[in-house]
Amino acid sequence: MTRREFMDELNALLSALPDKERLDILADYTEHFLLGMKQGKTEFEIAEGLGSPKLVARELLAGYRIDQAHSNASVGNMTRAIVATISLGFFNLVFVLGPFLGLIGILMGLYAMTAVLLVAPVGIFLDYGIPAPSQERLFLLFSSMVSVGLGGMFAIGLLRLTKWLYRQFLRYLQFNVKMIRGK
Amino acid sequence: MNVQFKKGVLELCVLVLTAKQDRYGYELVASISEKFHISEGTVYPLLRRLTQEGFFTTYLAESQEGPPRKYYQLTSRGRLYMNDLVLEWRIFNRGVNEIIEEGLGYDKA
Repeated sequence: MTRREFMDELNALLSALPDKERLDILADYTEHFLLGMKQGKTEFEIAEGLGSPKLVARELLAGYRIDQAHSNASVGNMTRAIVATISLGFFNLVFVLGPFLGLIGILMGLYAMTAVLLVAPVGIFLDYGIPAPSQERLFLLFSSMVSVGLGGMFAIGLLRLTKWLYRQFLRYLQFNVKMIRGK
Repeated sequence: MNVQFKKGVLELCVLVLTAKQDRYGYELVASISEKFHISEGTVYPLLRRLTQEGFFTTYLAESQEGPPRKYYQLTSRGRLYMNDLVLEWRIFNRGVNEIIEEGLGYDKA
């Protein structure tokens, strides 16, 4: 592979990155080529040493995506970070997707339970109507309050838990990129 | 060399190489690949990540001949991190060596 070919391919693979970042990366590799050639190496030898532009680009993209998910927490950014990390190798498919789906499952269960607690009182009143015998009415009122109260507390706790898990999972992704590298 | 060995060690290597003086990318890649084979292209993503994490700062310096070079300078945070890694490495290294000695020494006896 010539220098031109290597740089063109890398440039194309990094098209998802903002210009500033992409150009900065390309400058690093241009510098590497120029210094190598000054040492008397051929373009082919240098490109060979650098390895495949695909591998380089995957690693750079994963780093960038994780960084984005850090500074802008969103489902979309997290998804892109996960996809980029998985693209690093088959191992990541197992070690990233597995735990992630597990966590999502647990969170969804907890959210469903919270929703039931919050919505249940509505159902109770719809079923029984307001004019009930006074003792039963008090019991219904009381249990509804307990249900809504618990649901509210769960909701607050869950939101915090979700945020915390989001950050922890990003750290896990970072660890993955660090450990599962290169061929 | 076994790929599994190299994972994680690369980071330690670039940090230690910059401990005494600032280095530019090509220098770092060349001094590491002198010792063991690496996919040289992945050193630059590593350097970017370490810079983003605040372990390096970079600056461009013109050279007499050739292109300007991007130098990597270890920050105080980077130095602390390096010290941690070196310590971890020494403990790990000693443990593995002891296991090898015991295993192979037993064989010879």
